[in-house]
Amino acid sequence: MNRKEIWVYLERNQEEIEEVSLEILGKANELGKKSGMPVVGVVLGNDPGDLGNIALKHGADVVIFLKDPLLESYSTEDYTKALFEMIGKRTPEIFLLGATYQGRDLAGRLSARLRTGLTANVVSLDIGEDGYLLSGVPGYGSKVLAEIVCVRNKPQMSTVRPGIFNKTVIPNEAGIVEVVDIDLKDSVSRVKVLSRKVEKHPDLSRAEKVVIAGNGVEGNLDMVARLADILGARLGVSRPIADKGKASRELQVGSTGYSLNAKLVLIFGVSGAEHFLPGIANCQTVISINVDRESGIFEYSDYCIVADASKIIPILLKEGGDR
Amino acid sequence: MRNIIVCIKIVPKAEDMNFDPETRTMKRGGVENQINEADKNAIELSLRIKEKSGGRVVLLSMGPPFFDQYLKIGIAMGADDAILLSDRLFAGADTFATSATLSAAVRKIGDYDLVLCGEETSDGGTGQVPSQLAELLDLPQMLFVSEADIDGNSVKARRTIKGGYETVESGMPAVLSIELGINQPRFPDFRRKRWADKEFSLTVWSASDLGIKPELTGTSGSYTIVKRLTEFSTHQRQRISVAGTVEQQADKIMEILRESR
Ligand SMILES: Cc1cc2nc3c(=O)[nH]c(=O)nc-3n(C[C@H](O)[C@H](O)[C@H](O)COP(=O)(O)OP(=O)(O)OC[C@H]3O[C@@H](n4cnc5c(N)ncnc54)[C@H](O)[C@@H]3O)c2cc1C
Ligand SMILES: Cc1cc2nc3c(=O)[nH]c(=O)nc-3n(C[C@H](O)[C@H](O)[C@H](O)COP(=O)(O)OP(=O)(O)OC[C@H]3O[C@@H](n4cnc5c(N)ncnc54)[C@H](O)[C@@H]3O)c2cc1C
Repeated sequence: MNRKEIWVYLERNQEEIEEVSLEILGKANELGKKSGMPVVGVVLGNDPGDLGNIALKHGADVVIFLKDPLLESYSTEDYTKALFEMIGKRTPEIFLLGATYQGRDLAGRLSARLRTGLTANVVSLDIGEDGYLLSGVPGYGSKVLAEIVCVRNKPQMSTVRPGIFNKTVIPNEAGIVEVVDIDLKDSVSRVKVLSRKVEKHPDLSRAEKVVIAGNGVEGNLDMVARLADILGARLGVSRPIADKGKASRELQVGSTGYSLNAKLVLIFGVSGAEHFLPGIANCQTVISINVDRESGIFEYSDYCIVADASKIIPILLKEGGDR
Repeated sequence: MRNIIVCIKIVPKAEDMNFDPETRTMKRGGVENQINEADKNAIELSLRIKEKSGGRVVLLSMGPPFFDQYLKIGIAMGADDAILLSDRLFAGADTFATSATLSAAVRKIGDYDLVLCGEETSDGGTGQVPSQLAELLDLPQMLFVSEADIDGNSVKARRTIKGGYETVESGMPAVLSIELGINQPRFPDFRRKRWADKEFSLTVWSASDLGIKPELTGTSGSYTIVKRLTEFSTHQRQRISVAGTVEQQADKIMEILRESR
């Protein structure tokens, strides 16, 4: 007999599990309780380490570790193949992944192979009265939310936006980690990774205080970064600043960047475009500084300050105790 | 170098779109359309590849007949050919049905080395089409690409991953999704635009031209259903205006910062 299951893809980041995967586990646990379905965390790799236990602490009832030397590092095609086989065997009802670079790369390919529906960048999840997964997908930047279902096939797949759900510790004494040797034999990957350059950034979506630099302070980025430092805040940027290579994508705020959950954000020289706004929607207090009195950002701010950033930042630096 | 197929979507300008709570739809009246921004970056990249390594740039778009004028803008930018997939059957497609239809067209165009897409659109914005298209064509995929170089029969690309980037390589043909903002798309050439408007004849293919089964396209080929649209509710901001000299404004900011601690 097949039990109905909710699967969550646990994205590995060396010896850790990505925050978003743990966030999803917490939400899946809630959906599992509501619908009577167990939550299964699925992780691929060669060395299970302590990953399984971490997932069991954050909402998984069971963890499946798909083990093969070829799965040590991520590749679209080998990961798709392994998951396709496993899904064929256990036929989960729902499969949730983080809307990260890797999660989106994998989910698109896998959903097409499975011939099933996939919803993107989901910001809300529920199970409807009819038992189907209801996912909320933002559109046009942040103007609308489309409630989408997949009734034609299983699993119902979604990628979930980081920073939306909360990671929670859910004690689970009875949880088990199943290690499944899948024996892929040869790699089917046609894409070779020649080199990789990554830096570790703490998760911007969980920062308490953020100072954001937009196009209007492109020439004063060092000053804004210095101010963030003095205020004990993290630096964030609008998309164009990251596009120009002046800051890492990991600092980008907005629909294709991070959603912040800060208590306070201080925004310099950002116009408030549709695709920027979802990034600050969940912040408690928003202070904006813009030279343009008519700037759209003011409509989404608690404190609106019409000023030239290059004039006000030096004063803030001084008041903040900068030498 | 053989054909470089660039998939482009025509999208409404996001700032023009407004939700109508009465009808639960987006008001489209008076809305300006444009080539999706990331797709313009993909066109620009394809033209640079062509200038260096040869080949033909073919634009491919699925949508209603009025998209033709935007495809002509792409021709005026320097693309060699453009194909519009237009049929009532295609309406209401989710990303899978869109990818299925596009893949049939890519096969029909044939003789290609690269299929380029934008990373995501500004309306649906799922970013799902490139990888679904790659799967349906059984081709390697490289997503969120910011640089690409052709070297003989392979393509070397730089793609964004969490915390940084990777340099990757694969044989061709391959599907690439191009990051928004990686280059400055050239302006349409004025004379070429005039030529395109007068003499260029756009190819339009229907479902039967593609030989695709109707049940694989549009609403019937979709696996997802939009149950309803709701307005994205963000909480109302206070919008307190902080006036005074720049020093007074700075003092106020410091005060708010202290209070929020
Ligand atoms: C608010 C909203 C939410 C939606 N959510 C979902 C969802 O969760 N799942 C789902 O399956 N569908 C969804 N859809 C439907 C989806 O937008 C359409 O299927 C659309 O045809 C393609 O998806 P996209 O715009 O997200 O493309 P993306 O995948 O974001 O597009 C990436 C690239 O693919 C190419 N491309 C995309 N469409 C075309 C085209 N018509 N012609 C040529 N090239 C193209 C372009 O190069 C583009 O840059 C949603 C639509 C809306 C309005
Ligand atoms: C599919 C898609 C996804 C996107 N995703 C994102 C995203 O995730 N994040 C994002 O940010 N954008 C995103 N964008 C881009 C977005 O549409 C805007 O282009 C972008 O947000 C604009 O950035 P900005 O406000 O910094 O710059 P601008 O729009 O150029 O605004 C600069 C502002 O600075 C002000 N200014 C100028 N000089 C000064 C000064 N001396 N002092 C104070 N103020 C000054 C100006 O008045 C202006 O308001 C996306 C776009 C698309 C199509």
